[in-house]
Amino acid sequence: MPPRLDDLNLLSFIVARVNVGIFVVDQQMNVVLWNRFMEVHSGRPATEVEGSNLFDVFPELPKSWLEKKIKSVFLLKNFAFTSWEQRPYLFRFQDNRPVTGGADAMRQNCTFLPVNDGQGDMQYVCITLFDVTDTSVYQTKLQEAMTSLEEVSQRDGLTGIYNRRHLEHHLSHEFNCWRRYGGELSFLLFDIDHFKKVNDVHGHLAGDEVLREVAANVKLEAALLRTTDIAGRYGGEEFGIILPGTPLEGALIVAERLRTMVAAAPVRLRDVEIPVTISIGVAQADTSMPDYVRLIHDADKALYASKTQGRNRVTCYTSSPRE
Amino acid sequence: MSIAPYTADQRDALQEVVNIAMGQGGSSLAVLLDTFVALSVPRIRIVESSAIAETVAQMVGDNTEITAVRQGFFSYLRGEAIVIYGQEGCHDLADLMGYDANPDAAIDQELLLDVSNLLVGACMTGIAKQLGADIGFSAPSILAERCPVYNLFKAAKLNWTHALLVEISFSLEEKGFTAHLVMLMPEESIMTMRDALDRFLESL
Repeated sequence: MPPRLDDLNLLSFIVARVNVGIFVVDQQMNVVLWNRFMEVHSGRPATEVEGSNLFDVFPELPKSWLEKKIKSVFLLKNFAFTSWEQRPYLFRFQDNRPVTGGADAMRQNCTFLPVNDGQGDMQYVCITLFDVTDTSVYQTKLQEAMTSLEEVSQRDGLTGIYNRRHLEHHLSHEFNCWRRYGGELSFLLFDIDHFKKVNDVHGHLAGDEVLREVAANVKLEAALLRTTDIAGRYGGEEFGIILPGTPLEGALIVAERLRTMVAAAPVRLRDVEIPVTISIGVAQADTSMPDYVRLIHDADKALYASKTQGRNRVTCYTSSPRE
Repeated sequence: MSIAPYTADQRDALQEVVNIAMGQGGSSLAVLLDTFVALSVPRIRIVESSAIAETVAQMVGDNTEITAVRQGFFSYLRGEAIVIYGQEGCHDLADLMGYDANPDAAIDQELLLDVSNLLVGACMTGIAKQLGADIGFSAPSILAERCPVYNLFKAAKLNWTHALLVEISFSLEEKGFTAHLVMLMPEESIMTMRDALDRFLESL
C-alpha cells in the first residue's frame, strides 16, 4: 500500500498550491491566510502578510469600496462577486502574457465567500481570485472583430462611403426623429451625368476612378457640413446625402456648392482628363409623407427633372410646380 | 413533463418559508443599507415557459424599458434569480450603497450587480436555511440593459416547460428605489422543493 496523505495535509497542500489566489481576512481586515498564488503574484510572502491588516500591507487597494464589500459578506453571510468586465482587477498583478501581450495587467474575477466556523458564527471571509486575462483578451478581440464587421457591412467597397442599406437605415431613423420631434429634414439625391459614356469611352477602370473622385468630393462636402449629415452611395452612379435640421433652402445651397465643386474638378487619369458633372434632386420631408421612402421618391423625381432639363443642375421637388 | 400541483398544505408551507426568509433578508438589507426596506408579500406559482414573458410584463408593467441582472443558484435547489429594475428603479444606486456619485458606466454596472447580488443572496439563503439546505451562487451578470420587458425571455430558447416562480417587489421608500425579484426553478427543483416541504411539514 502506498503511503496516504492524511486529509488535512492534502487540503492544505491544495489550498497552498492551487493556481487560484486564495486569502482569508477576519472582521478587522487582518489577513489570516495568504496562499502561494498570492505570494508569487504580489511578491509578498505569507510570513509578511499574515497577521497584518490587509490595507496596511496594500495601501493601493480601493479601501472604502473593498471594506464595504467584505463587511456586507459578514453581515448578510452571503456570497459576493466582482467581475473583470466592471473592475479589471482587485490587485494589480502582472499577467501571464509577457510575450504575446493583449493586457496591461492580470484580469481578475473574485468571489467573496463567508466562512462559517461550524458554530454558526462567521469569523472570516475567504476571497478567491481567478486569473481571467485570457478570457478578457479573447473578448476584446471578439469585440474588435464585431466592430470592424459592422463597419464593413455599412461601407461601399469601391468608394468607402456608406452603402445604400446603411444610408436608408439612417434616413429611416432621421425621418422617425423628425416626425416625433419636429424641425426640418431634407434629402439630396444625385447622379453622375453621362456615366455610361465614361465607361464606354474610357473603360470601366476609369469609371471606377470617377466614382471614387465624386465620392471623395461628397466626403469633403460632408466634412463642411455638420457631423450628423450622412452621405452614401445609393447605387450605380447615384449618391444620397441626408440633411437633418435643414430646410429646402439650406439643402439647395449644399446641392449647388457640391455641383460646382464636382464640375470644377475634372478627373485626371494618366494622360486624359475626364470632365464630370452631376445632376441633383432635392426634397424636404413634409407631414403628408407616410414614410422615408416617399422622401427618396420625391428627390428622385426632382433628379429626373434635372436630367431632362439639360443636366449639371439642381432641382428641388415641389408638389405644385414652383416656377 | 407533467407537473402535479402542490397540495394546499405544501403551498401554505412554501408561502410561510418564503415569508420568513424574506422578512429576514429584508431586515439584514435594512441594516446594511441603513434604510427601511418595504417588501411585497411574495407571490408563488408554477408557470409555463410560454407564459413567462407575459407574466413578467404584467408584474413590471407593460411597455416598460427594464434593466435586469441574472444570477444562478445551485446545489439543493437549482434555478436562476432575476432582478428587474424599471427605468426609475436603478437611479442613484451609488447613493443607495453609500458611495460617492460616479459617472463611470462600469462602476454603475458594478453597483447594479452588487445590489442584485445582495437582494438575491438575502432571499435565497433565507429560503435554503428554512429548508435546512445549503446553497451556492454563481457570479451575477447583466441580462438586459434598457430593453423592452417582452424581450427578456425568448420562449423558443427556453429548455424548460414548467418552473416554480417566486416574485417579490422591493422598495426603499426614502431613497425612491424599486426592484422586482423573480426566482425561477425549473421542473427538477419543483420536485425537490416538494420533498423539502414535506419534510418541513413533518418537522413542525
